[in-house]
Amino acid sequence: MPSRRRTLLKVIILGDSGVGKTSLMNQYVNKKFSNQYKATIGADFLTKEVHFEDRLFTLQIWDTAGQERFQSLGVAFYRGADCCVLVYDVNSAKSFENLNNWRDEFLIQASPSDPENFPFVVIGNKIDVDGGNSRVVSEKKARAWCASKGNIPYYETSAKEGTNVEDAFLCITKDAMKSGEEEEMYLPDTIDVGTSNTQRSSGCEC
Amino acid sequence: MTSSSPSSSDTEFADPDTISEPLQSQLESMNLSGGVTNGSLREEPPSPTSSGYDGGGASEDEIREASVDADTASQHEAAWLPGKRHVHEDDASISWRKRKKHFFILSNSGKPIYSRYGDEHKLAGFSATLQAIISFVENGGDRVNLVKAGIHQVVFLVKGPIYLVCISCTDETYDFLRGQLDLLYGQMILILTKSIDRCFEKNAKFDMTPLLGGTDAVFSSLVHSFSWNPATFLHAYTCLPLQYALRQAAGTILQDICASGVLFSLLMCRHKVISLAGAQKASLHPDDLLLFSNFVMSSESFRTSESFSPICLPRYNPQAFLHAYVHFFDDDTYVMLLTTRSDAFYHLKDCRIRIEAVLLKSNILGMVQRSIAEGGMRVEDLPIDRRQKPSSTNNQGQDTAVGTGGPFGLWHFIYRSIYLDQYVSSEFSPPVTSHRQQKSLYRAYQKLYASMHEKGLGPHKTQYRRDENYTLLCWVTPDFELYAAFDPLADKAMAIKMCNQVCQRVKDVENEVFLQGASPFSW
Repeated sequence: MPSRRRTLLKVIILGDSGVGKTSLMNQYVNKKFSNQYKATIGADFLTKEVHFEDRLFTLQIWDTAGQERFQSLGVAFYRGADCCVLVYDVNSAKSFENLNNWRDEFLIQASPSDPENFPFVVIGNKIDVDGGNSRVVSEKKARAWCASKGNIPYYETSAKEGTNVEDAFLCITKDAMKSGEEEEMYLPDTIDVGTSNTQRSSGCEC
Repeated sequence: MTSSSPSSSDTEFADPDTISEPLQSQLESMNLSGGVTNGSLREEPPSPTSSGYDGGGASEDEIREASVDADTASQHEAAWLPGKRHVHEDDASISWRKRKKHFFILSNSGKPIYSRYGDEHKLAGFSATLQAIISFVENGGDRVNLVKAGIHQVVFLVKGPIYLVCISCTDETYDFLRGQLDLLYGQMILILTKSIDRCFEKNAKFDMTPLLGGTDAVFSSLVHSFSWNPATFLHAYTCLPLQYALRQAAGTILQDICASGVLFSLLMCRHKVISLAGAQKASLHPDDLLLFSNFVMSSESFRTSESFSPICLPRYNPQAFLHAYVHFFDDDTYVMLLTTRSDAFYHLKDCRIRIEAVLLKSNILGMVQRSIAEGGMRVEDLPIDRRQKPSSTNNQGQDTAVGTGGPFGLWHFIYRSIYLDQYVSSEFSPPVTSHRQQKSLYRAYQKLYASMHEKGLGPHKTQYRRDENYTLLCWVTPDFELYAAFDPLADKAMAIKMCNQVCQRVKDVENEVFLQGASPFSW
């Protein structure tokens, strides 16, 4: 197989505890779901290879803990992220309101070079619960918020049933990929003859 | 008295019966008894083999070029092909987890840059974990240097935006593992310079791996050298044994070349120096020499044609590139010319032609091949002085035994000249013949070196230690360091006398085994 250039994309998943960040990731990477809640300690890391437009990507997914006590990990975790995924539970108004805080916190900690255009993706999870009857955040409201923050792409998912999970992560890959395109130029120096080796510099004009 | 180079009073050589007094008395004053294992100097519990290898199904790449032994090196080189091993593994593979020694380079955002084993991308999750550990401790205003977990040591090194990690169960000391990470970082700087720091400052997402494309072999060859090349822990270089006049002839032309605007000119045979010269005030660090020759030796493309390549000498100036002209005269002998000028290719090519003319005229290439075939110093060739017959009788059976190393149970030695920044080691002799034994001996030397140079406890002068594998003797003076390995049953008094004799022997042949004279290593 010819070795193609592969791109590694760092994806951070943020959101309140219990909204289903780990479940989304497990559904996406392992195609598995468990009803049992296990709080993430600090962060979990998973990788997933993605083929897209004839290119190969590796998603390095940082599944962070939602509890406030882990938020001091911020800078370290967010540094160099290519995309940030904000997750809320459509059955919890509080988790939706907190998206503001998560977004602000990320922008402060990660301090990306172009915060206005940093790629976020918002996911409203748990649409399957109670057949949608316990839902408190409407799709309209969520889309309005996303629009107000610079047209953040929005997906509604069920990590349990796998609904839309693949699509959401494809969007994440696309956005992360775009953000990586204006990469910094590597411009190394060479030693200046005039300063480092003065007497010798004119010795060999040939 | 034959001392031809400066030596202090306690390194004078004379009749061994009288002159070993200083070394002898130092040993006595350290309250070490010759016949017993010196437990207090053993920091780690003994492992099945002193290298920490338990055999098992585990397989750090078995060393195949374990010796600096010139006459066997070619066959070892054929067996050890540089390049990445086990690329299909990742952190979920049992085989990957069982490897004895892992090296990782990653960015401070957790993106993998290099892994000794396995595929970097598949290890992205593992790499993120390492970053999380380092950054978490950093967030608390602290720094993580070492984590011990059972038999494993995890050693961390932070170099700005670059994180380096070694995970090892090889029983090597923290200082050496850290030194190895330093060299690994230096190798990366040699390829890219510290300009990469700026890339990360501007863009934390920066992915370095494309810039390092095709350099896996350079890193794996360096990691391999940690287990066979004493230069990696002595921070000194070694020369190919050669007649003084021939080395002089080579040195003269290299010096001439440097006078024409070339920064450094080096004539090398594999990883050994034939001769080298530097421009005025320019000094070359032995570590730079090690990393540069490793880069050239492990990159196949240098062998096929003359090359001109940007390279950075991290100890000379980590910020900027120099330009290197490399040409192989034959399979083993090559020239490396370094300049600050990017347009100097044709000048350097002319320089190479001038050097080649001298090499042909003096038949230096032929003599180099002969030196490779003959090998270096051998413990068997050390003269046995009959006056040294041991007075004690317990070890008499083996002191002159044939086929087991040199006289009085001497198996191997390394002599490092502090003044010259060079070392010379003996060829491996029976019973230290297998690669595993050779690697094990190097690791024993490393421990000895570490304990001699321990920070805080002051510089030590002598050490004599004995375990089930070796009797090791180390002698450090302001002029030289001697590391010698003997049969575990060797007689202590005889061992001390042999050490004096080794030093004498090195003095006798110093013009052939060392590069004398104008040293560019004068920083």
